[in-house]
Amino acid sequence: MASSVLWRTLGVAPIKLHMPALSPTMEEGTIISWLKKEGDPIAAGDPLCEIETDKATLTMDADDDGVMAKILVPGNTKNVRINELIALMVAEGEDHTQVDIPTETGTPSAAVDTPADAPVPTATENSSSSELSSMRHVAGGKGHVDLSPAVRYLVDSNGLDAATIVPTGPHGRLLKGSRRQEAVAPTTPSAPTPVAAPPPPPPPVTHPAVPPAAAEEDEFVDIPHTSMRRVIAKRLTQSKTTVPHAYSSIDCEMDSVLRLRKQLQGSGVKVSVNDFIIKAVGQALKTVPEVNAQWMGEAVQLLSNVDISVAVATDKGLITPIVTDVPSRGLQNISETVKELAGRARIGKLLPQEYQGGTFSVSNLGMFGISQFSAIINPPQSCIMAIGGSRVLVEPTEDGHTTKTVMTVTLCSDSRVVDDALASTFLENFKENLENPFKAALL
Amino acid sequence: MLSCAARLVRAQIQSKPTACWVVAARGYADIVDEATFTTNEYALHKLDEGPSQTVTVTRDDALKYYRQMQTIRRMETAAGNLYKSKVIRGFCHLYSGQEACAVGMEAALTPDDHVITAYRAHGWTYTRGVPPVNILAELTGRKTGCAKGKGGSMHMYGKNFYGGNGIVGAQVPLGAGIALALKYTGSNNVCVALYGDGAANQGQVFETYNMAKLWDLPVIFVCENNGYGMGTAVERASASTDYYTRGDYVPGIRADGMDVLAVREATRFAAEWCRSGKGPVILEVATYRYSGHSMSDPGTSYRPREEIQEMRKTRDPITGLREKLISANIATAEEMKQIDLDVRAEIDKAVEQAKTDPELPVEEMYTDIFVDEPPFKVRGTNPFMYGMSK
Repeated sequence: MASSVLWRTLGVAPIKLHMPALSPTMEEGTIISWLKKEGDPIAAGDPLCEIETDKATLTMDADDDGVMAKILVPGNTKNVRINELIALMVAEGEDHTQVDIPTETGTPSAAVDTPADAPVPTATENSSSSELSSMRHVAGGKGHVDLSPAVRYLVDSNGLDAATIVPTGPHGRLLKGSRRQEAVAPTTPSAPTPVAAPPPPPPPVTHPAVPPAAAEEDEFVDIPHTSMRRVIAKRLTQSKTTVPHAYSSIDCEMDSVLRLRKQLQGSGVKVSVNDFIIKAVGQALKTVPEVNAQWMGEAVQLLSNVDISVAVATDKGLITPIVTDVPSRGLQNISETVKELAGRARIGKLLPQEYQGGTFSVSNLGMFGISQFSAIINPPQSCIMAIGGSRVLVEPTEDGHTTKTVMTVTLCSDSRVVDDALASTFLENFKENLENPFKAALL
Repeated sequence: MLSCAARLVRAQIQSKPTACWVVAARGYADIVDEATFTTNEYALHKLDEGPSQTVTVTRDDALKYYRQMQTIRRMETAAGNLYKSKVIRGFCHLYSGQEACAVGMEAALTPDDHVITAYRAHGWTYTRGVPPVNILAELTGRKTGCAKGKGGSMHMYGKNFYGGNGIVGAQVPLGAGIALALKYTGSNNVCVALYGDGAANQGQVFETYNMAKLWDLPVIFVCENNGYGMGTAVERASASTDYYTRGDYVPGIRADGMDVLAVREATRFAAEWCRSGKGPVILEVATYRYSGHSMSDPGTSYRPREEIQEMRKTRDPITGLREKLISANIATAEEMKQIDLDVRAEIDKAVEQAKTDPELPVEEMYTDIFVDEPPFKVRGTNPFMYGMSK
């Protein structure tokens, strides 16, 4: 009884809520939203806030009964480090408005200031950062002796003092990307929480080959990578560097297709030229099955199903939803499927199995006015067909001239699986299918 | 007059608890010295009569159980928070919600009885006599830990307590072995071998039933059925969820694991059975865990949050005991609040100590290899590194 009276006169002692590590690899997370407002009652087990980790979005649950007193880090805050003080609770029955807000915000102290003999857990970052700090003193003393010619040129041409730059290379060497140490407000080590939390690693090097002069920072804008861009970059690089690309082009006369398309439009069926192309590719793959194959370690694997990945441009990047079993689908079916998949792709609602897999890709840039281009193969597929735009050619005849509409397609193939001869056979078949759509459909 | 009544009451307590109705004596203050409650029914297998549904508890015992359960609950919560701040690494399996099992069973056993359990062992380590500060220090890997910081969550030991075992179900044959040793040396003690609903389907458990029954070993097999084996509900894992009957020829009892007095009564019955040489008994305690299987499991992906909240509200062992004690006037709400505060302060202090105690020096890597060996050279982590075992 007496103790609670004492509390009231001093302000209510808070129950501190720290940012939890919800997965073993989590270093920092984002607080998406708070599920309890200040003043809300809390029961043990209640969800308090939603936290996004590097892997998933999880909720942080309450351990005790109480009342939410103060939210220190609001919702929608990114990069909250583990163990940062994010909110305060009071025990049940206490006045939450009288809570004592601790003066230090409790962020873990900077890596450099940790004394070497503090009882900290054996995080490897700790030892390397203390080594780094000791190295820095050495580098500062030696000064210009440790600079490589490129760094020395940058330092001299920009009139900098090498001692003020934080070395980020091995053994405390200055690199071109090392930044000048900004004047940092001293971080007060949090008194109540002992220095047991692993200190954060030193800030990563961001811009290689950028002169470390603060005055010219407005010359460029960084667009941070989304995970999608990262994945696309990785796969494209892997494809172009490991798969031997071969290119073959052929011109196809599109007049029959365009005529047929108009006819179908007249009877109310809306299909696009791209749908004809996909159908023609599907039929060609059935006729030349060696192209519907993949390079495996020990053998070339001929695939029995013909699934065509259709490239769709979204504002997040290029994605290829798959139209499965093309030879068995009619034109209208293909058209509807492609429209539906493209729509969902643009809003990011494709299921993984709808864009992972596929045996052949088709990419059409005709609508952008591109006449001809080469594409990069999506491994493990062995081909991608790059479709250009149609153009009208005038051909002289005996009594005047005729016009024909021609489209260039370029087959980019993995020459381990589809060599030039096979590519030519395939392209001939494809051209045949496209120029005689009725024949292809009936036979 | 009052003292006569009190003496009568005390005399009645000495006798074995059978179906006798003890009248609660009222003291001058409204607080009584003991109270009687009725537990839920026990399910019995191959037993003609089982534990008594009428349980009596004295004030001292009741407050002791309350304090023990609250200590375990706070200690596990503190361990969870330490894990989330990355001070504890590796595995951490929390006992929150199952406190009544450890406290109730310990109340019916003596310190000379032996206990072996699986990895959800922090609560048992405490009831077997290890102070919370040593448990928390073991979790954070410090010198003051009960295993010198070398064991961690799943390898805590104490007197007549064999851990802390990581391999699922492996502790059950070991438990029978301990019981064999007890019988062989002629002691009157029993061994309690605990396992979970997930481990209950292990083959080695049934092999153990056979040997224990064949040789009439004084072992109580306890199945702590918390409804989920990691993330699998019992209905999806076991063809028969009546774990107390799974011993077939071994008699079994099922008790409500959220009622500490019921658990105590059932354990008393089982211990008496074993001590009288009648062979093993299976005791299934139906309990519930609030947290996930371990710290890497949020615990909400295979069961609805409402179920957990429901259990917390209606069947929590600590709240249940508190309500019982207040309604029977055996303790006041203030007293129990004070116990809560004391326990909280004790655990907070233990947490501080666990975070700041020194870690083991590297030389300790070479020690605790054999018992009673003169010092010998031990190879370190590479062929060029050696140390001396102590």
